[in-house]
Amino acid sequence: MGLTGTAGCLGGLGGGSGSQTINILTWEEYADPDIKSRIEDEVGVTLEITKSTSSSKMFSSWNSGQNEQYDIAIPNNNYVPKMMDADLAAPVNEDVMTNSGDIYEVFKGFQESQFTSGGNTYGVPIRFGWYGYSYDSREISEDHEQSYDMLFNDEYSGNIIMYDNHFKAMSGAALYLGYRDAFEGSSVSLSEDQIEEVKNTMIDQKDMLQGYIAADPTYIKQFNQGNFVIGQSGRNEIVEMWSNGKSWPKMAAPKEGSLAWFESAVVSKASDNKEAAWKVINEYISPQNGASLAKTGYSPSVNPKTQEHLSDEQNEMFGAIDPSQLESMIPFKSVENEDAWLTAWEEIKSA
Amino acid sequence: MAASTDTNNRSLLRTARGKLALTAGPSTIWLGLLLLAPLTFMVTVSFMNINEAYNIVWQPSLDNYGQLTGPGLPWESSFWNTAFMESLLLSYVIAIVTTVMCFSLAFPLAYLLARKGGRVFKIVIFLVLLPFFTMYLVRAYSWLLMFGPNGVLNATLLKLGMISEPLAVFNFGVPAIIVGLTHAYFPYMLLSLYASLDGIDFSLVEAARDLGASRPAVLKDVILPLALPGIISGSLFVFVPSLGAFITPRFLGQGKVLMIGQLIEERINSLYAIGYGSAGSMFIVLTIVVAFALAFRYVDVDELGGV
Repeated sequence: MGLTGTAGCLGGLGGGSGSQTINILTWEEYADPDIKSRIEDEVGVTLEITKSTSSSKMFSSWNSGQNEQYDIAIPNNNYVPKMMDADLAAPVNEDVMTNSGDIYEVFKGFQESQFTSGGNTYGVPIRFGWYGYSYDSREISEDHEQSYDMLFNDEYSGNIIMYDNHFKAMSGAALYLGYRDAFEGSSVSLSEDQIEEVKNTMIDQKDMLQGYIAADPTYIKQFNQGNFVIGQSGRNEIVEMWSNGKSWPKMAAPKEGSLAWFESAVVSKASDNKEAAWKVINEYISPQNGASLAKTGYSPSVNPKTQEHLSDEQNEMFGAIDPSQLESMIPFKSVENEDAWLTAWEEIKSA
Repeated sequence: MAASTDTNNRSLLRTARGKLALTAGPSTIWLGLLLLAPLTFMVTVSFMNINEAYNIVWQPSLDNYGQLTGPGLPWESSFWNTAFMESLLLSYVIAIVTTVMCFSLAFPLAYLLARKGGRVFKIVIFLVLLPFFTMYLVRAYSWLLMFGPNGVLNATLLKLGMISEPLAVFNFGVPAIIVGLTHAYFPYMLLSLYASLDGIDFSLVEAARDLGASRPAVLKDVILPLALPGIISGSLFVFVPSLGAFITPRFLGQGKVLMIGQLIEERINSLYAIGYGSAGSMFIVLTIVVAFALAFRYVDVDELGGV
């Protein structure tokens, strides 16, 4: 008690400007200095941003007690239901989320289907993108039929990369095997037999792989180095390569369906600054800040009004994605029986 | 005020308990809080389950250990037929080969340094340690450029016309991980061996040679037994961190190799399976305890510093 009181006094003395500090656990791009300072000015708070490299790390750190330390986390959408289940998330304060009304209808639908429970909504979409596969157009014709078959084609043996994440890689294999039905509904529901089939298919595929890569910079570096010609990847990696003057990498949208992700902000139930936290989130989807965020990560904002702040070239590459494309995509979802997925994934990796 | 504190300290130092409290107290508290308490928590959690709301259920069970191993008994193949056990065995193999590699590379150099000493020693040791002043992560990342079909190693050999197509041995995987770990832990082995070899009376080597012992016999019967404390401590310093290595296999295995540290990390990050992770970690803890127990059969604890 005494220590807490002393810490409180010291905290008060230390915060010279007297502004609230909002602690955020999120991806690197959200800490862009321009975006950060604009939001600080707009909301009148100080932002302390801790960078994370994966949604799973954000979730496990919050669940192990760091939800007390952070006001906001911005994981991928499939981790929001996990945070809701673990009673870590606070309901959205609709009164301060003035930009929410502008977001694409499709994301409002996802918000309703994935983040709503007991009449309350717990997450706000910020930015999105999708996973398919990318390829070196100097080695693979652009006229090929765009299908996950390409990632299992022994013609490219030794030159294939899969994503190093059980959900993304196994989902790609499941779609290749024609298990699209498992992706309907509010969660992904592969049966035990289907998981076994996915596992065996991926074990067979392993000899053809150059490896599994998760980090965007590693993927780009290896692709540039010519270590593979085709790989399961996000579109933003390829847009980044285009922006750096490389025109040979191409992005394919497999006929079986691309996996769409959207980063979604959650406010901690334990936060003492909930209203200010929601105001900060509202700023991340404002037209100007949303556009800056899209530019930093080569991924579009969920708010189409951001396109007004991007150049024609930027809109063509990543800013103005036709929402009809999203309708045909499969959004990331929570996974039923994730333990079985992970066990199968470990068996694939250690095979 | 300062005088009063000084007087208190002096009176505390007069009693044996006071001396013990002042000298061993801080380190005991440090070890208790940062080593013993987390270890006790880990052992406890390894017997607990996690519910759907990701909270610990405080009802002891062997479920986590049951998930690590297959059905059957240790002498039956089904027992070892799980991803965890395969990953554990692979980690042992990688850690053992890394230790042997470090020893093979470090021993001749340490011997040379012990025999030469002086200025040569200072220059060589500086050159050996120079890369280690950079961050471990940066060094691990730099190896990424070396491997792969078009990495520096394959590209150089192709350019020199020594090979016609990229060699698979320079692809990412187990060999690349062993190279990365050997590079990472080489100094620990070198310094341990040097400390041990530097204490040897080399007139014994000359005496053995004068009495007709061959060079291999001198190495086997004189030098290696005298350097045993350094060999054991160096091996422990390399084997233990290699067994639980995480960053190097993540970079250089390119996802195709799953060592035990990676498996535990993935379970905890994806499912918050801290019970499973704790149970898995017990195998590493147990291995370390066994390794130290074996080491203490041959050397005393004060010899583990290498002398």
